[in-house]
Amino acid sequence: MATSARTAAPPAARKVPQHRPGSKLRRHNTIVGWSFILPNFLGFGLLTLVPIVVLFYMSFTNWNAFGTADWVGFANYERLLTDGSFRISFLNTLYYTVLHIPLTIVASLGLALLLNNKLRGVAFFRTAAFFPYITSIVAIAVVWNLLFSPDSGPINEVLRAIGITEPPGWLTSPEWAMPAVVIVGTWRDMGYYMVLFLAGLQTVPRELHEAARMDGANVWQRFVNVTLPCLRPTMFFVTVMLTINSLKIFDLILVMTGGGPGQSTSVISQFIYRRGFEENQFGFASSAAVALFFLCIAVTVVQFLWNKKRSV
Amino acid sequence: MKRTFAAAAGIAATAAIVLAGCSGGTEATDPDGPITLTLSGWSLDTTPEFQALADAFTEQNPDVTVELVGYDPVEYNTLLTADLAARSGPDIITQKEVKFVSTFQEGGQLLDVSDVELPDGIGGASSYEIDGASYAVPYRQDSWVLFYNKDLFDAAGVEQPDGSWTWDDYEEAAAALTTDASKGAYQHTWQSVVQGFANAQTGADILDGDYEHFAPYYERVQAMEEAGSEVAFNTATANQLTYQGEFGTQKAAMLPMGTWYVATLIAQQASGEANDFEWGIAPIPQEDASTAGLDNEPVTFGDPTGFGINAGIDENKVEAAKDFLEFAASEEAAQVLAGIGITPALLNDTVVETYFSVDGAPGDDLSKFAFAEHETLPENPTSSRTAAIQGILADMHTAILSGSSSVDDAIAEAQDRVASEVGTD
Amino acid sequence: MSELLDRNITQRTLRKLDDPKPRRASRERSARYRAGRAIGYIAMIVFAAALLTPFFWMIMSSLKSANEVFSVPVQWLPETFVWSNYVEIWSRSDIITWIRNTLLVSTVVTLLQVLTGSFAAYGFAKMRFRGRDVLFLLYIGTIAVPWQSYMIPQFILLTEAGLSNSLVAIMLLQAFGAFGVFLMKQYYETIPEELSEAARIDGLSEYSIWRKIMLPLSVPALASLALLTFVNTWNDYLGPLIYLRNPDLWTLQLGLRSFVSNLYDTNYALLFAGLTISIVPIAIIFMLGQRYFVEGIATSGLKG
Repeated sequence: MATSARTAAPPAARKVPQHRPGSKLRRHNTIVGWSFILPNFLGFGLLTLVPIVVLFYMSFTNWNAFGTADWVGFANYERLLTDGSFRISFLNTLYYTVLHIPLTIVASLGLALLLNNKLRGVAFFRTAAFFPYITSIVAIAVVWNLLFSPDSGPINEVLRAIGITEPPGWLTSPEWAMPAVVIVGTWRDMGYYMVLFLAGLQTVPRELHEAARMDGANVWQRFVNVTLPCLRPTMFFVTVMLTINSLKIFDLILVMTGGGPGQSTSVISQFIYRRGFEENQFGFASSAAVALFFLCIAVTVVQFLWNKKRSV
Repeated sequence: MKRTFAAAAGIAATAAIVLAGCSGGTEATDPDGPITLTLSGWSLDTTPEFQALADAFTEQNPDVTVELVGYDPVEYNTLLTADLAARSGPDIITQKEVKFVSTFQEGGQLLDVSDVELPDGIGGASSYEIDGASYAVPYRQDSWVLFYNKDLFDAAGVEQPDGSWTWDDYEEAAAALTTDASKGAYQHTWQSVVQGFANAQTGADILDGDYEHFAPYYERVQAMEEAGSEVAFNTATANQLTYQGEFGTQKAAMLPMGTWYVATLIAQQASGEANDFEWGIAPIPQEDASTAGLDNEPVTFGDPTGFGINAGIDENKVEAAKDFLEFAASEEAAQVLAGIGITPALLNDTVVETYFSVDGAPGDDLSKFAFAEHETLPENPTSSRTAAIQGILADMHTAILSGSSSVDDAIAEAQDRVASEVGTD
Repeated sequence: MSELLDRNITQRTLRKLDDPKPRRASRERSARYRAGRAIGYIAMIVFAAALLTPFFWMIMSSLKSANEVFSVPVQWLPETFVWSNYVEIWSRSDIITWIRNTLLVSTVVTLLQVLTGSFAAYGFAKMRFRGRDVLFLLYIGTIAVPWQSYMIPQFILLTEAGLSNSLVAIMLLQAFGAFGVFLMKQYYETIPEELSEAARIDGLSEYSIWRKIMLPLSVPALASLALLTFVNTWNDYLGPLIYLRNPDLWTLQLGLRSFVSNLYDTNYALLFAGLTISIVPIAIIFMLGQRYFVEGIATSGLKG
């Protein structure tokens, strides 16, 4: 007799599950389930999970990479709460994330929709969209710094030409530095998430579009009622990854502004790096990493629950 | 459950290894056999000083081989930290930055080398003294001088520096030298270009948390930018200007920079990357006339580069390692270094002669004076708080010069941050 | 609506590779259609130009001399074209070794990541067992921790295992990430359960279901995972920096950076030449492989 394991799948019609009741089935499922996960989990567990657990432990010590790690309890966390720089980097990180996520989703989804066709030359345009992601980050920082140069950069030249007499200082001004970084971040990530959306768009059945069009729905209605619901698993994936990557943002900011001017673009990951590798306060840096971890988890759990609710 | 226990054991083992706090050990050796010392260096292809010292030492001590271990120059300290933490560090640890000496020492990574004899008059030794004991030996010490383009001075009819300049003289000259084609001076974007001089020439200590002394120096930079005699900080940052490019292609007539640039400029003029023009070095402008002039010692700043010994080194190698340190600080090594254009920590007349006998080096007396005679104060005090404080001061630097914050506000903020985040005890 | 969805999802899976051309181009609307298409093309060209401008500057700068790269004002074209930058990289640096190492590492990591990731994702998506959701949350949680914060314990662990200073270390680091598992799991969730049920009735084991049904149906996701993993590994700098100390183990990014810089300055023209060379393989792989992202789903061989 066939047995099946039910999961929280999209709203397909469900047959009543017929399975042999009892622990024997559950044990079988557990063993088989674990056998699938094991190859990946072994590597993951040893190489990622163990160091991260050590990291958690370190956050309760005052380790400086060489000396003995003396237990200090919650001292690092208390220090974190009163540290002005941490507060600034926390707020900056949220600022970046809140700007970056919607912009990137709109841009990459838009690109994916635009390029999800079989027109001639579409391969070239898809590659062009992906180029920013494969370009080295050093090159990106160098070029964009030049483009954003307040006096002689092309962007401000264009702005002056269309009549804006006092264009923003971009990376040299504390108000505009973070928006500038967000622009570059979106430019860079568009192609990456476009690839993911392209794959996801393949799960949208063409027949549904046909049926909806015959029912008289226009492009926008078809998008909202057909495309988006089918895209939900992909959208969930993209949103979670985008959120975590935005909260974790580091190398882009490091090479573009170094956290400046002043501290206007300094983010949590950079705070961790500086405390750890420039000042050798690894215990303190670890506590900041743990704080970032919990921030990401909190946001992800909310997104998880939201997604579960929508898919029921 | 078995799985949890295994996991817990694995984690405990790793934690134990990681946090055991043992110093980086090296392999055991036979006490009577030939000895190999490993030495950490960077950019080995383009930084000949390590190989030069290693070869010269081996000539004198044939039974000791010095093996160089290359590291990435920018991430040197990160990589070295990782290696020492994993107990695979080198025998002789090159101290690239003074900022990290106290971290290594507090972590028990450096051997006490107070018994290594240093020649009189060697510069930078005080940077390696912690609690009365010495943990490293300087072999090289660059200091900051003023590079100037003689051709541009002549073309503008401005009198060349004579060793008696104060900062006001410098500001005046820069304004007079500015033309459409080139600026009077180039101020590189590093924090040390302003703060190094401010600290050294006013005798301030950044560890005490008081930074009022920076104000006049920053105000002068702003005045010069306003007058147009130097490229604005924001432009230099955004366009990522290089000091080699600005001075070498004659876009600026004067450049305060460290003495390491002498060798680079000579090489670039030879290869054609820099223009062909007459140049020299002068003592850096002084705070006031009391330290200016050829009868006095101009005050400038600079940090030494030195060698320390890995505390986990095999016992049989300790003597050879200490011999190497002693050699590196000696006059012989200084001659070797001067011959390849490196500024040694020990500067006497013969060493200076060797340095300036290189083809393409400036031949005038003022250059020799600027190179040899100076009171060089450390750029970074040796303390575990230095790195954090310098980070805060770097933020202050960008805040002031980018125009985000006024000089007084930024200084006040830096003082607050140091008091609350680092402490001033 | 859900019944319609259900029926059509099943029908979708039986579609062949070549979809029929869109039936929109009927006689009356062809003019408007062509105008719309022309505008679309123009928009795409403008957009592509904006996207590629920084890259254009980079290529131009790779043909300048070192002191010419940065200047006020921005120089778009070099005064003289210094082709010798490329010659210098090819002949004077060890770029062949670097490319070989990078190719080896990237390929192995991609294979491992795709295989173990999709394998594990099947377990998470289709099988129900105790602790599954918590474990999955743990996976995602580890993505949330910035790598540099646990880099040192990880380095110590691998050094104690004798693996530092070897390509194997890099391969291990990158091959077992949570990203691949997450991506594939989401994709598997769009594949209806009926297919697996039917297969189970036919007597297939779970492993066969994974191999014969899940894999062929998830080609777009596999393709994107493979590409993104390959690119990430190809461009990885910090990992190789920490673990690969012997110059003959260096990867491309590491070798380039080290070749063009010393302590005080970096020869950016040379660096850009190297980076341009480094992008070429990825661009080629992408152009050849990108059709797999949009490939129609292959038939699964199920009867109607």
